[in-house]
Amino acid sequence: MAYVATRGGERAIEQSERLFREEIGSFDAQRVNDIRQSLPYLVDRVMGEASLYDEDLAALALAQTGGEIYEAVLLLRAWRTTQPRLTVAEPVEQGDLFTHRRISAAFKDIPGGQVLGPTLDYAHRILATDVLRGDRFTPSSVEPADQPAPAQQPSVSAWQAENDLVDLPEPDQTAGGDIPDLTREPLLFPSKRAHTLQSLARADTGGVLALGYAAMRGYGQAHPTVNELRLAEADITVSHPDGRKFSAGRVKVSQAEVVSKKSEKLNLGFAATFGWNEVKCISAATLDLNSGGAPKGSATEEEFFLYHTEGVESSGFCIHFKLPHYVTFQSSLDAMRDAKAKNAAKTESATSDPAPTKSEPAE
Amino acid sequence: MSLSELTKPWEAMSYGFLDASAKRELRRKMIKAVAVPGCQMPYASREVPMARGWGTGGLQVSLTLVNPETTVKVIDQGADDSVNAASIRRFIARVAGAPVTMDTLQADLIQSRHRIPEEILSEDQILVLQVPNPEPLRPVQPNMSIARQMHADADYGRMWLQLYEQIVRSGRVMQGASYPSLVHGRHIMTPSPIPRWDVPKLHMAKHLTILSAGREKRIYAVPPYTRVEPLVFSDVPYRVEDHGGLTCHRSGTKGFFMNEIPQDGGTSTYEVSDSEWGVKAIRQRDGEGVIKGETWYKNGEMAQ
Repeated sequence: MAYVATRGGERAIEQSERLFREEIGSFDAQRVNDIRQSLPYLVDRVMGEASLYDEDLAALALAQTGGEIYEAVLLLRAWRTTQPRLTVAEPVEQGDLFTHRRISAAFKDIPGGQVLGPTLDYAHRILATDVLRGDRFTPSSVEPADQPAPAQQPSVSAWQAENDLVDLPEPDQTAGGDIPDLTREPLLFPSKRAHTLQSLARADTGGVLALGYAAMRGYGQAHPTVNELRLAEADITVSHPDGRKFSAGRVKVSQAEVVSKKSEKLNLGFAATFGWNEVKCISAATLDLNSGGAPKGSATEEEFFLYHTEGVESSGFCIHFKLPHYVTFQSSLDAMRDAKAKNAAKTESATSDPAPTKSEPAE
Repeated sequence: MSLSELTKPWEAMSYGFLDASAKRELRRKMIKAVAVPGCQMPYASREVPMARGWGTGGLQVSLTLVNPETTVKVIDQGADDSVNAASIRRFIARVAGAPVTMDTLQADLIQSRHRIPEEILSEDQILVLQVPNPEPLRPVQPNMSIARQMHADADYGRMWLQLYEQIVRSGRVMQGASYPSLVHGRHIMTPSPIPRWDVPKLHMAKHLTILSAGREKRIYAVPPYTRVEPLVFSDVPYRVEDHGGLTCHRSGTKGFFMNEIPQDGGTSTYEVSDSEWGVKAIRQRDGEGVIKGETWYKNGEMAQ
């Protein structure tokens, strides 16, 4: 049975997975804890792209995959998709967000003030190599301001709307289970507004950055100004079946409003995501800003950027090219060889026989 | 009403991995797909514990159809032992407790990537084809919303033009696998990247074929006894790969779709692509009793 020798596949894949896991080694809840505490921005990014807010599960996914982000996101998505949808929380209003950081590039000062909050924006990016020589990295402690910034702040666009600088979209009154859910129905175009925002919220950070950056550099219709960038915590309020409302906890969120100033009024682009991820929100909001009237097939067209920034799909398709493709390859080779042979035969008969030859039928 | 009435006791995983709401959607979309042969039905397409592009569309269909009595066969490029086929088979068996087989005749459900087995499938078998790109119009129209409209209008002129251009440029139709085909005289579908060799097997087949693209979120179907006609001009006949005269160097079987194995010195040998068909031929040669089914191709020719 000569074929049996080729049946080593199952054993080989098992061993290759073991090799991968061996490098990461055995771990327990302590490692998961350490990841959650020491890498909050990585955990945030993974939670955002997985559209699942659970720091422990996200840290576990990172531990299990050795920090392979696309694998970690897929792990969480595959877990998330099987979970029942028990309820839909109350809408989170911008004005109710517990705000840690809120800045605007459009105005020197904004109502409520520029609240810098936590950021590396102004840090000197110097490696703390002393740590490798045994020193301890201890950041200087924060000195509280005399006047704490107000925790709740309105959006900058609300002020602009009052001053007739921008037309805010009509509040969408769709509530509860009627809100279109991207994870339960396919994305079709022109896409529903809820689907667009959900899709951007769980988009791949690198993907939206690449396409958003293309729009920022000029392959778009509009140049963004960061109207407002906010890092905050949102209270999640849900209703008990008996009607009582209760808190299901707080989640970290980030959101960005960007505006373009081409016409008489400002145009608004918006994006929000789970976790604190500024690059993603600014890029995604820029794509949202640019999508109106974008030419078909351009990077700022909604169909183009929503399809191509879906991280689980794009990364999965990319790595699928490692799978064998010899049947399709063989099928094309057959046609190529035949076309080549026909072409050669035609040239030969043309040179050997001066009389005009009737070319044979194409197939 | 209380939360405990609304929920079930916690379990790590539903039967067959997918939850009931996902399966319900898939069942509905499959019925729609059967009702309108060859028409792509969008579905939500859940993430499964496998990367997108690795058969997640086929897997969702299989996980919805499977029950503990379903005998499952999984092939990749014709082979049961290919790494990804082995992985999918192991996964279905693990989450659904379904028996597995490599024998085409024993299988109730066959999930396949890019091949249709050489033995004729029967009325009680279902073939699930994994689809990377469900849109036959993609080469002429990459925009999905426009392509959808073109299907609705049966606006297929550009497909014909594409074939015509290939003939003008190369002297023949250059389409390799995924040969665009008209289903039930109405919708053009891509049969997934099966070789041209396999497309005639779908025409008026006894079995149900479900094609599912997980990443692209589309399901379509070829119900039993449905016309599947490759797009051809009346004066340029459809041509399958020139494999009818090749012999498998391992099993000695002849007249089936082959894998070309390059050899030192620039030559090639061939082995039969349907690996289980090859195994049966070897077992028969070694004097073992094997049951071989009727094949679609006889002596390298598709039986009429």
